[in-house]
Amino acid sequence: MRPSVAAIDQDFYDELIAADGQPRPHARTLVEALEELGPDALTAAGRRRDAIFMQQGITFDAGGPGEGPVRDRPFPLDLVPRIIPASEWTTIKRGLAQRIRALNHFVDDVYHAREIVHDGKVPWELIVSRPAFARAAHGIRPPGGVYCHVSGCDLVRDADGSWKVLEDNVRTPSGISYVLENRRAMTRLLPGLFEHYRVRPVDHYPALLRTALEEVAPTGGEEEATVVVWTPGPYNSAYFEHAFLARQMGVELVEASDLVVRDAVCHIRTTRGLQRVHAIYRRIDDDFMDPLEFRPDSVLGVPGLMRAYRAGSVAIVNAVGTGVADDKAIYHYVPEMIRYYLGEEPLLRNVNTYLLSDREQREWVLQNLADVVVKPTSESGGKGVFIGPRANDEEIARQAAEIKRQPERWIAQDLVRLSTVPTAKPDGTLAPRHVDLRPFAVFGEDIHIVPGGLTRVALREGSMIVNSSQGGGSKDTWVLEDDQYAPASPPLERWSPPRMPGLPLGDAWSSQQQQQQQ
Amino acid sequence: MLARIAHELYWIGRQLARAEHTSRMLDGVFHADLQGRPDDPAGVQLSWDALLTIVSGEPPESPASRDQVLRLLTLDPDHPTSVLNCISRAREGARTVRDVFSGEMWEAINTFHLGLLQRNISAAVQTGPYSVYAYVRERCGLFWGVTSRTMLRDEAHAFLQAGAAIESADMVLRMLRVALPADGADTHVLDGQALALLQAVGGFQAYRRAVPAPPNARPVARFLLFERDYPDSVAFSIEALHAALTAADPAYRSSPAVLRLSRLMADLDFRARTPAPDSRIAGTLQLVQQELGLVDADIAQRYFGGPAQPAARPAA
Repeated sequence: MRPSVAAIDQDFYDELIAADGQPRPHARTLVEALEELGPDALTAAGRRRDAIFMQQGITFDAGGPGEGPVRDRPFPLDLVPRIIPASEWTTIKRGLAQRIRALNHFVDDVYHAREIVHDGKVPWELIVSRPAFARAAHGIRPPGGVYCHVSGCDLVRDADGSWKVLEDNVRTPSGISYVLENRRAMTRLLPGLFEHYRVRPVDHYPALLRTALEEVAPTGGEEEATVVVWTPGPYNSAYFEHAFLARQMGVELVEASDLVVRDAVCHIRTTRGLQRVHAIYRRIDDDFMDPLEFRPDSVLGVPGLMRAYRAGSVAIVNAVGTGVADDKAIYHYVPEMIRYYLGEEPLLRNVNTYLLSDREQREWVLQNLADVVVKPTSESGGKGVFIGPRANDEEIARQAAEIKRQPERWIAQDLVRLSTVPTAKPDGTLAPRHVDLRPFAVFGEDIHIVPGGLTRVALREGSMIVNSSQGGGSKDTWVLEDDQYAPASPPLERWSPPRMPGLPLGDAWSSQQQQQQQ
Repeated sequence: MLARIAHELYWIGRQLARAEHTSRMLDGVFHADLQGRPDDPAGVQLSWDALLTIVSGEPPESPASRDQVLRLLTLDPDHPTSVLNCISRAREGARTVRDVFSGEMWEAINTFHLGLLQRNISAAVQTGPYSVYAYVRERCGLFWGVTSRTMLRDEAHAFLQAGAAIESADMVLRMLRVALPADGADTHVLDGQALALLQAVGGFQAYRRAVPAPPNARPVARFLLFERDYPDSVAFSIEALHAALTAADPAYRSSPAVLRLSRLMADLDFRARTPAPDSRIAGTLQLVQQELGLVDADIAQRYFGGPAQPAARPAA
């Protein structure tokens, strides 16, 4: 059957359609269902999705910080899901767990013995010059030695079909709320697509997070742990997620004014007085957390919080100072960290990266600017990214000058030819668009990774910038239960419910009139 | 007030509560059913046969498919407890009591009924029943909201509330008894069913705020049974029923239904405070359901016209 699902671009790996234009085995049923649905129904579903998202307030701030008032837009969800077969996911899962463990070791090392530095693997000047390096975190070891409780490492699939890590995020990675809401929306808008697939659920993430927070909370085994989510407030662009997670976990959502530190113990201000807090899931940068130790002008912080943290009376998730591990310049050393701390070979590869502070590498990059991607080490959200193959001569010259001026501000990477997934255009027909993947991991006593994660898609044709602040969208990500693509329904278990009377129906009242006659 | 009208109001309350609970249950199970079991013990599963058992009391002879159950319980005009039927009956009852209902209340039910008839429910149930069940929830919410704002808090109001309360308690008890049988299904499955149940009734967030334990079978069962602060728990409904009958009956101290309910409430309170092995929960569920059946009979007997009696006089 000739698929009407859009042709693919032969230069890239498409996740659902193979090179010969036929759907991949795991995507066959989905493609058939989409064809049957047709572009009109798809567009109609898209309108319903927008209405639902606006109603439920599943929005994000399109403007970004510092660009005027918050402009809520419904979070862009494309209705064509991305499918990852079970066997591929197993590899990804293992690779991520390994990487997170290594990063965690690194953070611990940086703020204590610095063994990796003494053994010459990572230069100290590089570490200490990272903006996220937190002097105040030196010597503090949080419970269980876990620093990177929540991580979101961005993965991409190259044109040869291999998975690579594009970037690590171990400070306050966001997006899990959209993963959960996307899945919920998909089951409501297009339940027919789920037919014949057993898709692994994702909605246990809040339970995972809450358990992890309770596991690291220093209660001394006595009281029930009080756990809170700390948000900068409703004007923060990710506020939806903060509120969402607090609600799903059943814990308080606090702002700085709710928190107070007395006697090196952190409390929240309640109607019944001060109540101790044991663990804080903070969605606020290190820099703003405590005006006594970090930025003194921060009104979002809690004075004395670091004192409580140092005293070990409160757990902060993620730990202070983890940003030193997800800096783009440190990224280059992560495979080495895996070998050094774990004695293993990395299961997931890095994208080839060039350090522009190194003279030889810089020379090479300057010669080949038209073929590489250049990123500023201190930005996030896709800002300031230079894409060589898309740039004209003037832009290339400008970038070269910038690099020469401040080489330590930049790194360069090989251009990854991001994989594509068929995506709905405004008229409902499908066309390939580039995607990446951000799985979410929770590290409490152990590392748990939610199946799939946030697939971000560049909605403009040919664009590879997937960040939502730059016009990107998202897709529901399906990890299949196993590699059976048309599973039989699971066998009914032996199950004998108790006997009960059927639901009563309420006889007509008149039947009781008989007793009237005396 | 007229016994006949009280009877009608009681049953309107019951039908509306039944429709809402059935919708929530179907919605919850439908969406849980779409996804497989994760590699974490937070799986969600409640079979379709279980739903039929909940309404009929007996497991079906042959395994039912999802579509069959959805059709049957949502829009089958012949199935006595389908959502459509419940609303039709409530509406018919509301016609009889139009003088007692405020105009807004009548409009709410009538529009609800019309809306159900007009929607292409068949297509919706097939492709995405979410909108149907959302509609039912919304309209029920509207009716009760309007009632709480516009209806005089008199005997009529009390019987309406009594019907809703007893039906809520009964529906939740049924769901608990079916989803959490006492015999040896393995705990993994039981936990998954407990979570499905909790999400189906819409109590997930309330649970998380009230109970520190993760949503496994035992804490969920205890929550839905004993938590007096949660509006859909059995204990809350029984208290509401007790309050409604006390308000309706000036001689409530001599009302067998009220006495039975007082005893039941005390018993539940006692059981809530004593930690008990899991098998006792099943026993408690059965006991409470039986007692509620007797309460229903008591109510019918005393208020809706058992042998004609002189009007009850307040105890001297």
